[in-house]
Amino acid sequence: MKVSYNWLNNFVDGKLPPVAGVADALTFHAFEIDGIEQVGSDSVLDVKVTANRGHDCLSHRGIAKELSAILKLPLNPKVDPFAQPVDLSKKTSAVTVTIDDPTLCKRYVAGYIKGVKIGPSPEWLKQSLEAIGQRSINNVVDATNLVMFNIGQPLHAFDANRLGGLAIGVRAARAGEKLEALDKKVYELNSSLLVITAGDRPVGIAGIKGGEADRIDESTTDIVLESATFDGVTIRKGSQHLKLRTDASSRFEQQLSPELCPIAMQQVVTLITTIAGGEVDGFVDVYPAPQAPMYASVTVEKVNSVLGTNLTGADIADVFTRLGFGYKEQDGVFEVQVPPERLDITIAEDLVEEVGRIVGYDKVPAVPLPPVTTKPAINKNFAAAEAARAELTGQGYSEVFTSVFADKGERVVLNKVDGVRPYLRDSLVPGLTDALAKNKPNKDLLGLNEVKLFEIGVVWKGGSEVTMLGTVTDKQPAAEKPLEPAAVEQYADLPISTTERYQPFSRQPYIVRDIALWVPSNANPDDIAHSIKLEAGELCTKVALFDRFDKEGKKSLAFRLIFQSFDRTLTESEANAAMDKVAAALKAQGFEIR
Amino acid sequence: MSQEGHIHPISSLIREANQIFFDMGFTFGEGPLLEDEWHNFDALNVPKDHPARDMQDTFFIKDEPGMVLRTHTSNVQIRYMESQVKAGILPPYRVIVPGKVFRNEATDMTHEAEFFQMEGLVVGEDVTLAHLKGTLEQFFSKLFKGASVEVRFRPSFFPFTEPSVEVDMRLVGESVPEKLRDRWIEMMGAGMIHPNVIKNAGLDPAKYQGFAFGMGLDRLALLRWGIDDVRHMHSADLRFINQF
Repeated sequence: MKVSYNWLNNFVDGKLPPVAGVADALTFHAFEIDGIEQVGSDSVLDVKVTANRGHDCLSHRGIAKELSAILKLPLNPKVDPFAQPVDLSKKTSAVTVTIDDPTLCKRYVAGYIKGVKIGPSPEWLKQSLEAIGQRSINNVVDATNLVMFNIGQPLHAFDANRLGGLAIGVRAARAGEKLEALDKKVYELNSSLLVITAGDRPVGIAGIKGGEADRIDESTTDIVLESATFDGVTIRKGSQHLKLRTDASSRFEQQLSPELCPIAMQQVVTLITTIAGGEVDGFVDVYPAPQAPMYASVTVEKVNSVLGTNLTGADIADVFTRLGFGYKEQDGVFEVQVPPERLDITIAEDLVEEVGRIVGYDKVPAVPLPPVTTKPAINKNFAAAEAARAELTGQGYSEVFTSVFADKGERVVLNKVDGVRPYLRDSLVPGLTDALAKNKPNKDLLGLNEVKLFEIGVVWKGGSEVTMLGTVTDKQPAAEKPLEPAAVEQYADLPISTTERYQPFSRQPYIVRDIALWVPSNANPDDIAHSIKLEAGELCTKVALFDRFDKEGKKSLAFRLIFQSFDRTLTESEANAAMDKVAAALKAQGFEIR
Repeated sequence: MSQEGHIHPISSLIREANQIFFDMGFTFGEGPLLEDEWHNFDALNVPKDHPARDMQDTFFIKDEPGMVLRTHTSNVQIRYMESQVKAGILPPYRVIVPGKVFRNEATDMTHEAEFFQMEGLVVGEDVTLAHLKGTLEQFFSKLFKGASVEVRFRPSFFPFTEPSVEVDMRLVGESVPEKLRDRWIEMMGAGMIHPNVIKNAGLDPAKYQGFAFGMGLDRLALLRWGIDDVRHMHSADLRFINQF
């Protein structure tokens, strides 16, 4: 989520550290930061709010509250909407609200304002929205968006005169119902979606997008504001079904507390009457089953036994105070009242996490596990795989992994994103055969007499999942057999790779040239290979001795040279020129070219 | 001329990890790649219709509702604990699970639809987050021989751990390749096993607790050897494999 630094700064009593400090504070105590962007005189942080904190932190207030706890900077009560008085006591008789299924819409607060003047937003409001990548539309719509980005509660404004009757309803859509939304697209609705209605006519897709017909524009004078809580799963499914994900739906699908509704309504009404004028006619609040106060408890001992720390009751109390959690402590037991928007906190471990992250995980020491007295069990399948690896590499086989996805098999993937090779393989043979064909042309490059491959991998056949051992060579077609568990009581001591660094290899074609020569019997082949390499130049990537024999006190050595470039195809004449140079140099050293 | 074959770098890494963890008392666990949703999701505290299920792009199997290609090795957390409980063996448990996992996404230089992960699971009566830090420090110091290793945690979220952390590692010392030296590198997600997971596996969360981690082995191999493209891992190309 895009978060404006200036917006956050306005929340705290005092001053936030520079943006890098804010990013660090969040990184080590709350959320990852995906990036920081300079927008005019503001900095915008891309905060990766975790899936458990969508209830409260898809908002500037949520992030500011985190920073307040982390940095011990209190929120400014004059700015924090949660600290402001909420007074929606003025009732309107003009608007009614009916909720069909209160489990899908836990609360609906409507506000009715008459006589607003629609116009452009004030500069500060435009800037606030534009900083986080939002387009300014008009003062009323901008006000609803500002409140959403401020406290995380999505809002909607309807033109009251376009609605006609102000009998607002929330119900399941009916099959065949259609609605043109504010994006001017017509959506086909079904009974899994919720709609907002006016006199039974759909005027918005609840929690996702409002209807075009009841939009706010220059002609609007009277508005009905909606601050409601829709069921997260319903919104998530509906948004997936319509392929329409909005700032509103992405918040609702995380499940919001109904306690946000009046706070958001208060804030948006105050803002609209300030910037667009109008008279508040009154409010309706339908809230059949109010959210119960939320409690969780944890002991000092539990905190330390999970984190491996030595925190005191005072340390823990300090964290809860900074987070704004109410608590009572007695004999090391904390009874905590969780703020209503923190729906993520239900059990002791949740409180332990709050303590851990706010004090900082750098306070968790690194403690080795105590030594074990009994030897761990041997995995006989792994032991069998390891024994096969040792045996086969000894015979010159190299190990490959090929894909489990295949062109045929007993089982098929339902939703493969790229659509290709959707089957689960029922044999290692096709993969190994392909791998052999791919490696064969590189035999000389690899310095191999023969390509030999093996794979230990899972296949699905005969209705079950089986681990197979497959082999293939230039001479033997691919074959496989089930890998049987090894009857061993310990693992063999096998070597691990001693390679330091991987060397990128060229994907260009290569050229092979051989040269054979007579040398004195005491000549060192390595020295000769070295001098060949020097003469052949940098296009020669490999010189390997591939044949030698002794005859009448002389020694014959045959070397194979590989020429290859990283960025182009070499020509025969380039290789020939290099070989001429090599031959000339070897002759000059007194060797006889065969 | 000698024609010794080569094991795959991932196999070498798994062999080495097993040697290190075996000495620390860990057994080598395993479980199916084609898994039911209970072991891959529900038992791990990822209920249906929870946004967390969207965190992982899952392959489903035609005509076999409820079966998925496992999205992590964490399914074996449940399977291992279940099998121990069934055999009448109560914690302490220490297990690593190296193995193949799947994500239904387009592939590029750093993403593959099939890749390797290594799960770690430690359960006991007094296992703490501090033990997680200590265990990973020990593992990385042995893996990056001669380097001095620092491990740090950042807050995170996984449904199957509470608290959840991201683990970063920093290698210090002359022996460390320059590209890795003195830099914090994101290594894995981890945390204290959620009590619901302990309960779903058949143990009493009031008595037992523990930690779990899941690290990407492909990524570890990339770092360890400076490999430039994760697609080499499944390329079956000996120009790559025979370097190890």
